[in-house]
Amino acid sequence: MIVQVVQRSVWWGGFRVWQRNRDAFLRSWKVEIGGIAVEPFIMLVAIGFGLGAFIQDVGDRPYAEFLAPGLIASYAMFHATFDSTYGAYLRMSTHNIYEAVLFTPLQPEDIVAGEVMWSATRAAVSGTAVLIVAVSFGLITSPFAILAIPAAYLIGFSVAAIAMILTATATTIGAMNNFFTLFVMPMFYVSGVFFPLDRLPEWVQNASWILPLTPAAALVRGLVEGDLTWWMAVWTLELLAIALIAHRIAAMLMRRRLVK
Amino acid sequence: MTSPVAISAKNLIKRYGDLVAVDGIDFEISRGECFGFLGPNGAGKTSTMRMISCASPVAGGELFVGGMSVTAEPRAVKSILGVVSQADSLDPDLDVFQNLLAFTRYFNLPKKLATERIWEALDLVELRGKVSVTPDQLSGGMRRRLHIARAMLHEPGILVLDEPTTGLDPQSRHMVWERMMHLKTRGITILLTTHNMEEAAYLCDRLVVMDQGRILIQGSPRDLVREHAGERVVEVRVGMDRKAGLLESLEGTGLVFEDAGDSVSVFSENGDPRLDGGLLDDYEVVRRPANLEDVFLRLTGRGLRDE
Repeated sequence: MIVQVVQRSVWWGGFRVWQRNRDAFLRSWKVEIGGIAVEPFIMLVAIGFGLGAFIQDVGDRPYAEFLAPGLIASYAMFHATFDSTYGAYLRMSTHNIYEAVLFTPLQPEDIVAGEVMWSATRAAVSGTAVLIVAVSFGLITSPFAILAIPAAYLIGFSVAAIAMILTATATTIGAMNNFFTLFVMPMFYVSGVFFPLDRLPEWVQNASWILPLTPAAALVRGLVEGDLTWWMAVWTLELLAIALIAHRIAAMLMRRRLVK
Repeated sequence: MTSPVAISAKNLIKRYGDLVAVDGIDFEISRGECFGFLGPNGAGKTSTMRMISCASPVAGGELFVGGMSVTAEPRAVKSILGVVSQADSLDPDLDVFQNLLAFTRYFNLPKKLATERIWEALDLVELRGKVSVTPDQLSGGMRRRLHIARAMLHEPGILVLDEPTTGLDPQSRHMVWERMMHLKTRGITILLTTHNMEEAAYLCDRLVVMDQGRILIQGSPRDLVREHAGERVVEVRVGMDRKAGLLESLEGTGLVFEDAGDSVSVFSENGDPRLDGGLLDDYEVVRRPANLEDVFLRLTGRGLRDE
């Protein structure tokens, strides 16, 4: 009975899609390792230590220490969105994989669940890679930093769910570029990753709290610094709410696109 | 699936906006039968297949697969179907084995059973040797066979094939036909759309010819040929200058004939006396048995169909 209920839920079907993506990743990760670990490493060295040498301490910590948790959240976001936009669009449109999956008992909602769960996993992998780099530079001291990994999963889930809304409605792969120039990159710069939010005009600050990366960066920073507050529960709930709402919308739009 | 009926449709309708793709068709497919859907492009074949496969919602009428409504129980319907669609949908990011493994998971097969079925399916389509290459290293014929293997992993009672041999070379085509005949002997119900009349005549127990969303005729290939094209066809090659004269003399005989551009086809029974007596002596003629293509062209006309 319980088994049947589980097997009828989109998360079970999603798990099957997740397994497919995991298999594909395990064949190709050696090619992708540059994006996963090398790039955040270069970013942390160049901006954190290189540029950071000219920047005054943020609060009582050196700049690189301030930047590291922001990069964990950012790379979680980047790799989740890459996978749910370009990756998912290729699987859907060019390789017809969704069509083939729909001829099995799986439904469009299962596919969306699986893609988003996989993108979240990618985010957790990338977050872990940045965390390891940061630890190796001695930038992290609190044991709570380990919780940055599930946080990266949650961040990945919510941004991937938003990205799947775009993928479900895009008519060309070029549409993904706009998503990055108009949404992902601006978010990268105004979400308290590179500098504290209070440097920004107040209306930008307020607006940025609605975007997923601001609570994400704040949450990871709190964990990495071991500075636990009740606000972190609020940020977690905000990310969870974005994740579930965006996922529902994406699933609905994907059904509309695939089942005609 | 204990009923003798595998699939039944009553007044089945499909619309895309204002376009009526399937216009109220009825059919009933028995278990173990190979049933063909023929028709020019845009006739509604693929739309019908997609509705049966639960990939496209039914706009009107009833459609039951294995006794289950496609609208009410799509997951259950899909679990007894094996579908090979027209589009190539092999996964380029996985090798052949993983391609099949992914599909056993979608059907919730346990790992051990899944592995057994994968090897069986690979043997069925003679691809055991290709198990660890990626699909882009396979030839067109092998890819098609791999699609068929992928549709067989969960041992479906009904196999749905949308133009399974389009674009294949003759060797690959015969290999696919032979595999399909083999599956038929195992009692699997096969649904087939095709543009290849030879394929339809060879494989199908019964078929329908569709045009503009409707079923024009249905029956066994042999009966349909007899009924709609007779036994023999005489193709008369004729230039434009002499065609009018030929058509006129044919009018007088009461024979059934059709103007096919640079030739005229005359349909008749074997030994029809009207074809003796020198009627066609002055022309270049080819005499051959009537076939399904004659039926198809007579019913659906010779105008080109551009979708």
